[in-house]
Amino acid sequence: MEHIEVEAYYLPSQLKGHIKRLRTEVYGEGEVRIDLKIPSIDDTFIKILTQQIRKNREQYLAHLPIEKIVHVLDEASRRWLDKDYPLRRLALKTIPLITGFSPEVVEASIDAEMESSLREDMWRVLSLEIGNPLYLDDFQYSPHLDGYSRAFGPELIVSIFSENIPALPHLLFMRSALVKSACIGKVARGEPTFAPLYLKTIEEIDPKMAQCMAVLYWQGGEEEIEATLFGQADAVVLFGGVETCRSLLEKIPRRIKTLVHGHRLGFGVIGRKRMNHQELERLAEEVALDCSMFDQQACLAPHVYYLEEDGVVSPKEFCQAIAVAMERLNQRMPRGRISSGEASTIHQLRAVYEFRELKGEDVLMLASSSRTDWTIVYEKDPGTFSPSPLNRFIRIYGVEDIFQIPPALKPINFFLQNAAVAIGDDRENEFIRILGELGVARITSPGKMSIPSMMWHHDGISPLSSLLRWCDIEKKG
Amino acid sequence: MTELPKEVLALDQKIINFIRKGVDQQDPEGFNKLALEVFALQFKSISLYRRYCEKRGIKPEKISSWEDVPALPTDVFKVMEFSMVPSKRVRTFMTSGTTNPEERGKVGYDEGGLRLMDATIEEAAASFLFPDGMKTKVLIIAPSPEMAPHMIMAYGMNHLKDYFGLPQSCFLVGRGGFEVETLLKELRSSEEEGTPVTLCGGSFGFVNFFDACREKGLRFKLPSSSRTLDAGGFKGRSREVKREEFVEECGEILGIKKEFSVNLLGMTEISSQFYDSTLRNFHKGLPLPGVKINPPWTRTVVVDPETLKPLPNGEIGLLKHFDLANRGHILAIQTDDLGRKIGEGFEVFGRSKEGGARGCSLTIDEMTRIEKGK
Repeated sequence: MEHIEVEAYYLPSQLKGHIKRLRTEVYGEGEVRIDLKIPSIDDTFIKILTQQIRKNREQYLAHLPIEKIVHVLDEASRRWLDKDYPLRRLALKTIPLITGFSPEVVEASIDAEMESSLREDMWRVLSLEIGNPLYLDDFQYSPHLDGYSRAFGPELIVSIFSENIPALPHLLFMRSALVKSACIGKVARGEPTFAPLYLKTIEEIDPKMAQCMAVLYWQGGEEEIEATLFGQADAVVLFGGVETCRSLLEKIPRRIKTLVHGHRLGFGVIGRKRMNHQELERLAEEVALDCSMFDQQACLAPHVYYLEEDGVVSPKEFCQAIAVAMERLNQRMPRGRISSGEASTIHQLRAVYEFRELKGEDVLMLASSSRTDWTIVYEKDPGTFSPSPLNRFIRIYGVEDIFQIPPALKPINFFLQNAAVAIGDDRENEFIRILGELGVARITSPGKMSIPSMMWHHDGISPLSSLLRWCDIEKKG
Repeated sequence: MTELPKEVLALDQKIINFIRKGVDQQDPEGFNKLALEVFALQFKSISLYRRYCEKRGIKPEKISSWEDVPALPTDVFKVMEFSMVPSKRVRTFMTSGTTNPEERGKVGYDEGGLRLMDATIEEAAASFLFPDGMKTKVLIIAPSPEMAPHMIMAYGMNHLKDYFGLPQSCFLVGRGGFEVETLLKELRSSEEEGTPVTLCGGSFGFVNFFDACREKGLRFKLPSSSRTLDAGGFKGRSREVKREEFVEECGEILGIKKEFSVNLLGMTEISSQFYDSTLRNFHKGLPLPGVKINPPWTRTVVVDPETLKPLPNGEIGLLKHFDLANRGHILAIQTDDLGRKIGEGFEVFGRSKEGGARGCSLTIDEMTRIEKGK
């Protein structure tokens, strides 16, 4: 039996001596056992940590040229893209065991994340949000102002992650570094190992930069620790369920800049022009990929795909092609382990659709043979949006006209995030405009839902510029 | 009213005879034979169910064991009805609809089906709730069947009251809600007169009553042989209470001995009731822990949540019940309750909850809670 010990934390070296006790959480399945080391921390520890990390930033990261920062982050992404990189190989053992995702899913997600976190991606996002990235280094001439401007990031960003999607902590540490902020992230019980490993990579490349970052882990609801941490922060970024975010928000002092990324949902739309035989196989594979990445657990994933009627291929025929693609994908990138409750919900819902079909309703249920690996249920658009139980369970709504979709989304517009849109005729622009007005934060193509560009306005927020404070010098008159 | 078809009446009679042999009979062959007969008749009469079975390659002539009868998942009752003789339906019971009240499961009963349920209530309660044959005042923290015609618990408790209760027995949830004052008065008079009480109802009703008593500083010392029967869990309608704590509170507030607190698993989709064996074991002098018991006209199988295949004894999975008294709808029911086989019966842990932090997508549960909260 292989025995792996991993740390569910990362701390600047000066703090190591302050850990009084480590407790161990054990995860094991068959051949591999993971001992997760978790430090016991208290209020005092948090105070020492925040002081130290601010000091480390002031002595290094605050003055590090943006070019150097981009270089370090780029190098980190490149190392993670190397299939033989030891930390990547370690993560591929720990994350599947802890989250239940299959190693293939985790591998695909690491590749997707790191491929969109390279040098050119960072320069693009900096240009998009800040214009001239050198505003982060020093005062620069601003032609619009006819003077000089400089952008300052917060000294310390605190972030709370409450889900098991490995991408999120990594993204936030990158963003913090780009605005030259120290960052303390509290990772979730669902997946606490990726972030510490990622910071080890930063340490390999630039140990002083890593000293400005920390990962902590505790069970939620540690009132005192959370309050102290929020009290020390200059900005807070929250990821989590709607209710979790709501209760955390109450603990954050009002003066502190706060960005909230609550749980959201996605959907896809394929117009009749694209429902043709030439594109069928490829589009079906793309839909299947959108529904299978992260086993549909990420907010990027679709709950419903709308297929427009009156194309050459009918929505039901299209479902058959998606079924083939879902099965093929499941062979290559198996669905992960799910809870009893999740499996039960899928069986129950499958049966409901099976009986509606038997009864003669215009409904179709296609599913993996014996287990709950994947499910497709087709019905005519009921005019209301029902969420999917996830874990590769996709609802297909056959819709007469794509413009019937937006009214059904109106009641849930606050939760809309991603939409994959493939219309292929002159209605596309108008349709996209309506989705934008409705609250959709990102419109992409089928197959691309799970891989947003580094540039996207995450949940409609500018993730870098929202954190910045500007100082302008007007030319003396 | 015209009678049920002869073959149905004949089968009902056989099932009633089987139930009337009581809970101590051991007749697995008899059960198997009847289960297959019930299945054959349901297969013949309920066309949707027949097609469901055929899709799975199951036909009555192809199977020789009740275990092979395809089970109907409980959620299916939310979208359609399954009655062996739909034209003879006299009663429809509905599930309490824990999430969406509009999506309530509906189960139709014909006269014969109600007679079967009555028989199960009489036989099971006689063994598990009144093994001592005691006549008690049955006080019910639930609405009467007149007030709640679609609530199966109201029907069952009413039958319990009529069959086992003393004349003063009554329901305690009226048009204006829970009649606490009436209950307090009845409990006091029982204390004074020495009439033993059977207090029964939904588990959450007990907890809310205990909370009210504690607030008012009320305590009772009910006559010995008084007992409680609670069912149905808490479902967010009172605080959540562990079983041991519940039993302790029955002792502390009502003065009921711990062996006299009986829990029942009842479901709208299942005609029979699964009592725990606490009081029965105590009465028989058996030092066994209380677990849910399958009366001989029922079976419970624990299945793997992924494959729905049976699990070895002791492993936790989803409960699948078989009930001969379900003749009027569907014999085999696949629930979403987690549980396991243990000792002479089974344990039920309730609906399985999601474990740990999951992804960042909005979930159905989250959306439901948010909609409710707004």
